Amino acid sequence: MTALTTDTPSTTPHSPAELREKKDRRRAIALLSPGLLWMTLFMVLPMAMVIYVSFWTQTTFSVNSTLTTASWERFLSSATYLGAIWTTLRIWLIVLIATIVVGYPVALFIGLFVRNKTLQTALLVACVIPFWTSFLIRVIAWRPMLGTEGAINMILMKLGIISEPLTFLLFSEFSVLVGMTQIYCVFMVGPITFMLGRIDISVIEAARDLGASFGTIFRRIILPLSLPGVMVGSIFVSVMVLGEFATAASLSGRKTNLLGNIIVSQVGSLKWAFAAVAGVVLTIIITAVIALALRLVDLRKEM
Amino acid sequence: MLTLNQVSRRYGGATALDGVDFVVPENTYMALLGASGAGKTTLLRLIAGFEEPDQGTISLNGARIDGQPSHLRDIGFVFQNFALFPHLSVAENVAFGLRHRAHAPLTNETEIKDRTEAALELVGLTGFGHRGVSAISGGQRQRVALARTLVCEPRIVLLDEPLGALDANLRSRMCDELKAIRERLGVSFLHVTGSETEALTMGDQVAVLANGRIMQSDAPDMLFSHPGNAEAARHLNAWNIFDAGLCSHDLGQGPIAVRFDQIDVSDPGAAPTERPSLHATYLTGEFNGPTALSFFRAADGTLLQVVDHLSQPRLPDLVEGQGYDLHFAADALRQFHGAA
Repeated sequence: MTALTTDTPSTTPHSPAELREKKDRRRAIALLSPGLLWMTLFMVLPMAMVIYVSFWTQTTFSVNSTLTTASWERFLSSATYLGAIWTTLRIWLIVLIATIVVGYPVALFIGLFVRNKTLQTALLVACVIPFWTSFLIRVIAWRPMLGTEGAINMILMKLGIISEPLTFLLFSEFSVLVGMTQIYCVFMVGPITFMLGRIDISVIEAARDLGASFGTIFRRIILPLSLPGVMVGSIFVSVMVLGEFATAASLSGRKTNLLGNIIVSQVGSLKWAFAAVAGVVLTIIITAVIALALRLVDLRKEM
Repeated sequence: MLTLNQVSRRYGGATALDGVDFVVPENTYMALLGASGAGKTTLLRLIAGFEEPDQGTISLNGARIDGQPSHLRDIGFVFQNFALFPHLSVAENVAFGLRHRAHAPLTNETEIKDRTEAALELVGLTGFGHRGVSAISGGQRQRVALARTLVCEPRIVLLDEPLGALDANLRSRMCDELKAIRERLGVSFLHVTGSETEALTMGDQVAVLANGRIMQSDAPDMLFSHPGNAEAARHLNAWNIFDAGLCSHDLGQGPIAVRFDQIDVSDPGAAPTERPSLHATYLTGEFNGPTALSFFRAADGTLLQVVDHLSQPRLPDLVEGQGYDLHFAADALRQFHGAA
C-alpha cells in the first residue's frame, strides 16, 4: 500500500473557489460595460431628454425650457391625436394578425415539412431576398401594383372580373396594411420556423401513433410548441409597426396618420415639445405591448 | 398475430429490408436482434405506419394494415428517445391518446383520470402525474413512454431499443419489469435491440435480422445452441465462425461454428487426436470478472475467441504471440450449408 498525502502548502489567503468567483465577476463586468455604456449614451439619456422636452413650453416659432404640461394637455384633449393613437393600435393589430396568418403556414412548411437543412436555409434566405433592396423602394413598389392603372386592376379588368378600376387599393388604409404585412412578414416567419424546426419529429410520430389526427396534433402539439416563436415574431413585428411612419406616408396618400407620422410632421415644423409628447406616448404603448407579450409566454423557460 | 409477408423497403439505392417474412404470435414477447443499420427501426416504422413498404404485405389478425394511416392502426410504439410531449405533464402525456385519438376518444374526465392513474401504477410511477416530463429521470421517462402507449391498449406494442438510453443498472431492472408488465397485459411485445444478452433474456422468442431478412426466429435457448446459419450465429456473439478447411479432421467445406466455451487450448501437438483441432496464434486476453476471454488468430486471419469461466479454469498459461492448438468435440460444431 502507498499512502498518498493530499496536503499542499496553501500560500494564498483566498480559496481557489473565491478566486474563480472574483475572476468570473470581473469578466462579466468587462463583457457588460460596452453595452451598458452604449445604452446609457444612446438610449437612457435621449429618453430622459425626450421626457424632459415634452414638458417644455412651445410657442409657434420657438421652444423654451420653462416647464409646463400644456403640450400634454393639448395632446390628450385633441381628437386628432387620440385618433392617431387609435389608428396606430388598429393598424398594429391588423398587421400583427395578418403577418401571423400569412407567416405561420410558410413557417410550418419550412420548419416542419422540409426536413432537409440545406433546403430549409435556402428557403429562409429566399424570404429575405426582398431586403436586398432598400426599404423605401420596397414600399413604393406597391404603387404600380395597387394603383388605378396598376397591375392588379389591369389584370382584374382584363379578366372581366371588374369593369372599372378599384380605387380603394392605393392611397388608403388598405394599401398601408398590404405594404406593412409584406415588409414585416419575414420577421414572423423566422422565429416561428426556428421553433418548429426544433420540434423532434418523433414527438409528432408518437402523437400519430397514439391515434391523433393531423388536426389534433397541430392543435395539441405543434401549435403550443411553436407559440414562443409566434411571441418573439410578434414582438419584432409590433416594435417595428408601432414606430412606423414611412409606409403610411408613401402609401396612404396622407389619409392614415400614425403616431410616427405625427412625430415626423411635428419635428418638421419644429414643434419639439409636441413631438416629444407623441414620442413618450409611443414608447409607453410599445413597452406595454412587449410587457403583455412576455407575460403571455415565459421566453426564458421556452428558449 | 402480426404477419409480415415479403416486406421490402429501399431508400434510393440502398435496400433496408429485402423480403422479410416474419410472424409475431399472440401473447408473446418477441425480441428482434440485429446490428445497428440492419433495418430494425425501419421494420418497426413500417409496422407502425410511419412509412410504407415498397413491396409485401403487413397484416394484423388476418387484416391488412399496410396502407392504413398510422393513427388508425391501433399499434403502440415506444420510441428509443421516448418522444414525450415536452409541454405536457406526466399525466397529460399518458392521457393524450385516450383524450385525443381520432377513433373513440374518451370524454369522461373521471374515466381518463382513473385509467391514467392505473397506467402510472402499472409502471410504478404512482404520484408522479403532476410532474413535468423534464423534471424526471431517464428511467422514469421510459416508464412514462411505456404507460402512455399501454394505456391505449394497443393490439401489439413495438419497442425501439427501449433500454438503449438507460444505464446498465436500470436496464436490467427494466428488463424484468417489461416482461412482468407484458405478462400481466397479455399483449404481444416486439422488442428491437442490438444486444444479444437483452434479446435472449427478454424474448419468449428471438428473431435475428441481418442483410434485410429474418435469418432465424426461435426460442432463445434453441437459437443460442442451434443457430441455423452463420449470420444468426454471428449475432449471438458466442460462436466462432471459421472455414472447415482449417481443421485437422476432414470436416468438409464451408463455414462451421463452434461456441466460445466449447473450445479447449493445448500446446502445439498436444491436442487429443480424436478431436478436430486447428492451429492458431494467441493474441491477447481480456478479463471480464467472472469470465476471461482469450483471442486467437487462425492461419487464414480469422479471429477466434475462447471463453474461460474462472470457477472452472481449463486453459493453460498462454503467452502472447505463441502458437497453440485449439480443439473441440466433434459434436460441438455446427455446420452451415449454403451462403455464409
